[in-house]
Amino acid sequence: MDDERREVKHETVLRAPAGEVWDALTDERLLGEWLAEEAELEPVPGGRACFRFADGEEREGTVLRVEEERELAFTWARPGDPETEVEMRLVPLVSGTRLVVVERASSTAPMAFSGAAWGARLAALDRAASLMLV
Amino acid sequence: MVETLAQGSTVTASAFAADLPISRQAVAKHLAALRQAGLVKGRRVGRETRYALHPEPLGDAAGWIAHVGAEWDERLRDLDRLLGADSRRD
Repeated sequence: MDDERREVKHETVLRAPAGEVWDALTDERLLGEWLAEEAELEPVPGGRACFRFADGEEREGTVLRVEEERELAFTWARPGDPETEVEMRLVPLVSGTRLVVVERASSTAPMAFSGAAWGARLAALDRAASLMLV
Repeated sequence: MVETLAQGSTVTASAFAADLPISRQAVAKHLAALRQAGLVKGRRVGRETRYALHPEPLGDAAGWIAHVGAEWDERLRDLDRLLGADSRRD
């Protein structure tokens, strides 16, 4: 397993033009309607990205890339946690907009586990899994 | 056991033993092994210990993927609803 490529990817087609989708991704009030309970976002590289979620969890990070109506990328993390990167890409379609969201362990965050440590964890998992098969 | 935990519940060892055809003692051993591997976290609640999948981003990949994936599913449903509500098109 490659411990540097922890990622999830979601694609969806939204029934709205790219401009409206972009607003939902960059307008703080609209972000508070779907991404988090409350959002602060400065949609420029280096800008602040702060979110508070319904369960009280807070995440903070930095905007990485902004390409109007095409891409928004930022990092976020709970205080003390390693950062993850969130990347949102828009593809205009005849009937709406495709949104592709990828969240991945940040390439700039320090890796908590070296290859050797990861090997040890996999061995421990293997032992635990074989116990369960008994 | 990992699958049950991946669904987001926290479970006690007794609850596991009730569901699985192995003894409570065996369950406790398995949970200890999983905890040693850093895959689950136990939290004492009164006299019980409740176990949950450890949601560490750079630890268990499957747990992280399940957890983060579920978060995005919900957010994108809310986004779809938001955009649908704003729309004035037929």
